[in-house]
Amino acid sequence: MSRIFTIARWELRKTKSSFSLKTRFFSFIILILIGTASFFAAQSGLHINDNIYRVAVTDASLARVLQSDAKFEVYIAGEEGAKSLFENEGIDILIKGDKIYYHNTEKSISALDALDKAIKKYDEARLLSYDDLNNTFPVWINIKNIAREQAFQAPSINKIPMDMPAQGPGTGQVAEDTQDTISSVEPDGSAPVPKKQGTNTNIPEKTTENIQIPSVREITENKIISPINEQTLATPSHFNPSIPFKSVVLSFIFIFPLFFIAQFFSSSIMDERIKRKGELLLVTPASSYQIVLGKLLPYLLGSIALVALMTFKLGGGPWIILILLPVSLMFLSTSFLGAIIARSFKELSFVLIFLSVFLSGYIFFPAMFANIHAISIISPITLVVRLLENETVSISDYMFSTVPFYLLSILILIFGIFIYREEDLFTQKSIKEKLLDSIQEFIKRIPASLFSLSIALLPLVFSIQLMLIVLMFNFPVRIGILLFIIVAAFVEELIKSVGIYTVFSRKMSEVTTGNALKFGILSGFGFFAGEKILLLVVIASIAGSAFGSVMGIGLLVFPLLLHVTSTTVASLGMRYLGHREYLVCVVLASIVHAAYNLYLVRGVVFD
Amino acid sequence: MTDTRVIVKKEIKSLVFEKTLILAIIVQLLIASFSSLIVIGLASFFDPSSLSNYDTSRANVGIVGQGELRQFIEKGHIDPHYYSDVDSALIDFYNNKIDAIIVIPKEESGGNEIINLLIYLPKSDIRGTFVTLELKKPLEEYEGYVRDIRGERIGFEPIKLYVDNIPKKTSTYFEFIFGILIPLLVFTPVFISGGLIIDMLTEEYERKTMDLLLVTPVSFSRILNGKMITAIIIVPAQAFLWLLLVRLNGVVVHNTGLILLLSGIIGAIVVIIGAIIAVKYKKRMISQYLYSLVLILMFLMGYLFTNSPFNLVTRLSADSIGSQALVYCGAYGAVAVVLYMGMMRFQVSGADN
Repeated sequence: MSRIFTIARWELRKTKSSFSLKTRFFSFIILILIGTASFFAAQSGLHINDNIYRVAVTDASLARVLQSDAKFEVYIAGEEGAKSLFENEGIDILIKGDKIYYHNTEKSISALDALDKAIKKYDEARLLSYDDLNNTFPVWINIKNIAREQAFQAPSINKIPMDMPAQGPGTGQVAEDTQDTISSVEPDGSAPVPKKQGTNTNIPEKTTENIQIPSVREITENKIISPINEQTLATPSHFNPSIPFKSVVLSFIFIFPLFFIAQFFSSSIMDERIKRKGELLLVTPASSYQIVLGKLLPYLLGSIALVALMTFKLGGGPWIILILLPVSLMFLSTSFLGAIIARSFKELSFVLIFLSVFLSGYIFFPAMFANIHAISIISPITLVVRLLENETVSISDYMFSTVPFYLLSILILIFGIFIYREEDLFTQKSIKEKLLDSIQEFIKRIPASLFSLSIALLPLVFSIQLMLIVLMFNFPVRIGILLFIIVAAFVEELIKSVGIYTVFSRKMSEVTTGNALKFGILSGFGFFAGEKILLLVVIASIAGSAFGSVMGIGLLVFPLLLHVTSTTVASLGMRYLGHREYLVCVVLASIVHAAYNLYLVRGVVFD
Repeated sequence: MTDTRVIVKKEIKSLVFEKTLILAIIVQLLIASFSSLIVIGLASFFDPSSLSNYDTSRANVGIVGQGELRQFIEKGHIDPHYYSDVDSALIDFYNNKIDAIIVIPKEESGGNEIINLLIYLPKSDIRGTFVTLELKKPLEEYEGYVRDIRGERIGFEPIKLYVDNIPKKTSTYFEFIFGILIPLLVFTPVFISGGLIIDMLTEEYERKTMDLLLVTPVSFSRILNGKMITAIIIVPAQAFLWLLLVRLNGVVVHNTGLILLLSGIIGAIVVIIGAIIAVKYKKRMISQYLYSLVLILMFLMGYLFTNSPFNLVTRLSADSIGSQALVYCGAYGAVAVVLYMGMMRFQVSGADN
């Protein structure tokens, strides 16, 4: 233990000394500039689509309305001039008087939609300036979100509506006397004005002159004075599915420092490899796991401290730190492995960019759907988002979304430690060779190796499959399940047989039919055992869905047979085709595997 | 000049050998598909036409209370179920028979009070999203109807414009593809190249191979130029690949030549900044850290003003600006030249230490 701390102290001192006073000063200045820039961005908005549409108008007052939206580049011209602009100069929209003309192109039609939105927004701002809600925003919506069992689970026991919120007085007994009004008042739809655009229904009067339109400045001033700002309006036009965009952005700020810390960590490891300073540490009595843990410790503590600081500054309970701990661990362990397997700085950069993009996608993408679908809790960030939105997170939620992170990052660290040795650190082996090295080490060191390897790699399979589930939700349900089954089978077969591939290609045992059978059975059985253990622990909450059953819940005997058979297919394939045809063998095994799973969920996919 | 060419060849060879560029392209593909998935995924939620392909076509909504709103709801893509009180509606709600409950209050459109609608929705459920989207339109129409009645009292006149044959319109896809996706694809190679030049230079320093290079007849500025040219020329090359991919997906990108020119110029600016940092700090850890900070700053600034590089690519690709963009390209080119000259002066004085 004390060795770990000694190494941690060295590491800390080394990193600290790299930051000269000048560097700190320089980064401080850039940070201030970033702060200023984001302040301006928050003030004036992002100018992403500025001037993307070009509009020609004949009415100057209308031009001022359109100029309130930066998307439009507005040309004012007489009727003839405007028309020729529209016809010859590629102007997207022509507004002659109060009549709109558009081209039948995607861009022009989008411009029409943007125009509609801009005018609605302008009108809403004008309405707000009246400061008379009863007449300007007459319809308000109160939303009560109630948890209920989701439809994809068979509705089991009916919940008694005990948690039903208190209802407003009198809503239960709406009187019958409104009946008359209904029959007498026919809503506007019955008197159609076919040429209208937008939601306005009145026939226009000629008097709509520029006096009517307050200037943009007037409106913005009014907005500030007005007690209600736009965000708090709960009217139909603000009735949208709740996408917790702000909370996701906020949670991004929480983990932002992790990217930097992970970069420092990997730089430090790589630095030692390139300058060969790490050799000195390797000859000390400290074992490689002590060295790695010692190096990891300051960065892990640092990232937890930074997350804590962020939580403290931006608000949010201490639970956020606990949720982000496995995320920090994941970032650090992946960048550690990246630093071990890369051959040069360039390669390290790309490996790290790849890993962090993948990881960020995995944690942020589901969080966007935090309020839309239960599956989103596969990402710890969803839990953070929920906490930020003042919702509760249960222990089982925590387990479900973080256990894969804990397991996987520990696994990655272990594999990294296996090749934290001279022959891998200071040579130019390719990434694939190094990964195979670490698997080879695993097989050598761990008893019942192929059996254990399948269990150990299971968290990796599990995480990739969870990521796949998220991606598949973008397809129609049936195609999604179909694709998922095929890709998931391929991933499982690849991972199950990688140990056998290592044994055969590294000539760790003889390539005989007997061995191939033995290895296939061992590896398949290990995967089966690990899967059952892991699923019992974490998967309860999606067990009822169709995706859950593909992931292997159900009967016990058949999955066992399946895993053993398919892996044996791959194993025998390598025996007869040679290990060079590894991919072909995996594909063959995947076909067997996917066929079984398809049969299992045939009711969902083909009915 | 031939020395520079030798360096360029060597660097490109090493890029190809390490297959790093392939990884970079996979990274960019991931970034692109993530952002498309988020936006297109969310946008298709908001687009009723894609919802009609969804397994269930109509939303089941429980309605409690009478009122004009009923007619608006019945017109939409909604199966209304009427209940006399909330309790009986909630039983069906928990049984998944209906996915929302609207409680309509007594206030009428002609009245003076705000009409407060109470809506029950299932929490964290995709059905809730679906029903929200289906309800939005009738509710908006109802609001417009009430507003027309009440707005007259305060003399409010909405802006009215007319169009023949309203097409089915949405701007989400268009603005996402041209406003976000294409600029992102064009500029990710730029950011990657900035990091690349730092790696190329700091590796020579940290492996002490720079000293070896310097004893050869090749001068330091030639080495620097060679490495920078490598980092810069791969920018338009990658951008071109992306534009080709986008084109294969059926999106017509205009002004390709100008976009590639602009990406090269911005690439030059970023690569020169990266090189300045690397030559100054020589250590990868510090250089990459500072570069990341500068990158965040540049990224933010790219969204701060009209005619920023991001915005120019958006408008060029959407054909909203033509050869006028050359003026801005010239301005950015001037920035690159000034930076380059500054670096060369600085490098002469700073190369020895």
